[in-house]
Amino acid sequence: MERGAKEKNHQLYKPYTNGIIAKDPTSLEEEIKEIRRSGSNKTLDNTPEFELSDIFYFCRKGMETIMDDEVTKRFSAEELESWNLLSRTNYNFQYISLRLTVLWGLGVLIRYCFLLPLRIALAFTGISLLVVGTTVVGYLPNGRFKEFMSKHVHLMCYRICVRALTAIITYHDRENRPRNGGICVANHTSPIDVIILASDGYYAMVGQVHGGLMGVIQRAMVKACPHVWFERSEVKDRHLVSLKKRLVSGHFIVSCILGTCINNTSVMMFKKGSFEIGATVYPVAIKYDPQFGDAFWNSSKYGMVTYLLRMMTSWAIVCSVWYLPPMTREADEDAVQFANRVKSAIARQGGLVDLLWDGGLKREKVKDTFKEEQQKLYSKMIVGNHEDRSRS
Amino acid sequence: MGVAHSHSASEEVRELEGKTGFSSYQIEQLHRRFKQLSGDQPTIRKESFNNVPDLELNPIRSRIVRAFFDHRNLRKGPSGLAEEINFEDFLTIMSYFRPIDTTMGEEQVAQSRKEKLRFLFHMYDADSDGRITLEEYRNVVEDLLSGNPHIEKESAGSIAKGAMMEAASVCLGQMEPDQVYEGITFEDFLKILKGIDIESKMHICFLNMETMALCH
Repeated sequence: MERGAKEKNHQLYKPYTNGIIAKDPTSLEEEIKEIRRSGSNKTLDNTPEFELSDIFYFCRKGMETIMDDEVTKRFSAEELESWNLLSRTNYNFQYISLRLTVLWGLGVLIRYCFLLPLRIALAFTGISLLVVGTTVVGYLPNGRFKEFMSKHVHLMCYRICVRALTAIITYHDRENRPRNGGICVANHTSPIDVIILASDGYYAMVGQVHGGLMGVIQRAMVKACPHVWFERSEVKDRHLVSLKKRLVSGHFIVSCILGTCINNTSVMMFKKGSFEIGATVYPVAIKYDPQFGDAFWNSSKYGMVTYLLRMMTSWAIVCSVWYLPPMTREADEDAVQFANRVKSAIARQGGLVDLLWDGGLKREKVKDTFKEEQQKLYSKMIVGNHEDRSRS
Repeated sequence: MGVAHSHSASEEVRELEGKTGFSSYQIEQLHRRFKQLSGDQPTIRKESFNNVPDLELNPIRSRIVRAFFDHRNLRKGPSGLAEEINFEDFLTIMSYFRPIDTTMGEEQVAQSRKEKLRFLFHMYDADSDGRITLEEYRNVVEDLLSGNPHIEKESAGSIAKGAMMEAASVCLGQMEPDQVYEGITFEDFLKILKGIDIESKMHICFLNMETMALCH
């Protein structure tokens, strides 16, 4: 099925080439040095001075932005170079040709009439097994057997759910998988992240209390395994304390998902707290390939059930999971710096853009500082050396 | 392609192809961009470039914008600025940044190179007198170093002076003690920048998206 779906797509997906020009991501320094090096070779010592050719870099960058600027592209969901036959990912929908429309119609038929019922059945099975299984395990007396059963019930049900979404997951570096007594931190694109991570390891989870179906599942799960579900408005300290205790006892791995899906100060605080604990942090980077299905959840537009239905009517969810080597807080770092370090490692691995913690940082502010940085960098290059020369 | 062309439009495109050297696909893309900048008007003015927020980051923003309206770049005269430019002018300016086609003859490559360098020369030579004087040079340096509060005006001046001295030594060799260096002419400019791999530094690669999946 997946292979068939792959054949229907015509071109390879090339990430990060958006727009009409290919931008060269070299830095200011590199490029100016290169220009100079290729130019006059009378100054073989690397004392950069202002030269006529320096203007090339700025000129070209300026032209590039005129031709195609990032701003208009940045906030739309990624545009694919070829259409993956899901009308929801075709933003400039035009009537292209009869053949394509027929293919698309066929795709709709397959997805809605064939794949969807299959997936719903699987999902139903998975969820009900989870609820029933964990409740049953909850009745067992505390001990190694309970843990064993709980682990297997969880894993099995999550794997069924993964199949229900037809998620094709590639795990990288599995030797870095989180171990007991550590905290697993991942970047958070969609609620599916939980399922993806949990199907590969046994985690005790930390998360918000939800209502509805999710709430039922959460309440059932907590009977078998001491997950921590907290209310948004609750004070976090006592949860932190209980978390600490649990980590110290070396019992469980706590999975704490970072991200902007939940944007709420108390949750943010709680996340910071989890970095203060001082346990080993296992960063995990999750990246979705949008070629087969767009996993982005616009929570203001779609509810949970709508979102799940969208997922289940896509071709597949393809993602890669990278397990990064564990990190611990250094002696001279505070929790925020540590958190940022972890975040950059995750972002770098997943090829994601590393934004600052403070989601409220306005774009204007970022730009000013960046502009100054550029100019400072350039002027440092020139003036600094100029001063050296005049001194000598 | 998805959108059907009318007859006269494709003739225009072919004409532009011949004049500027862009492919019809690139012309289409640039036309879309032109319309975006101009707000669907047939011409753009200096103010239209305010819609490109990323351009604000560039220290020589005003020079770049002015280059679009410079008569010398538009090949409309020896000096002066146009009020507004149409799509063909836009393409003319953009063509300075086309990658040099290595299949062209040597002479053509050299010509291409000269054109690109001339574009840059015009950026320095604001008063169109054919020479980059110390004053003009200093202005460029100040622009590039502007925004840094730690640099005083004098630094820019001294840097410019130093650079002009070097340029003079390249062009005139040993100078007499009372010889005054007027300014960098275009020939001097070429001499100084000989050997710079402008072919790769001053062009913009267009993505080849023609192989996009569109069935016919």
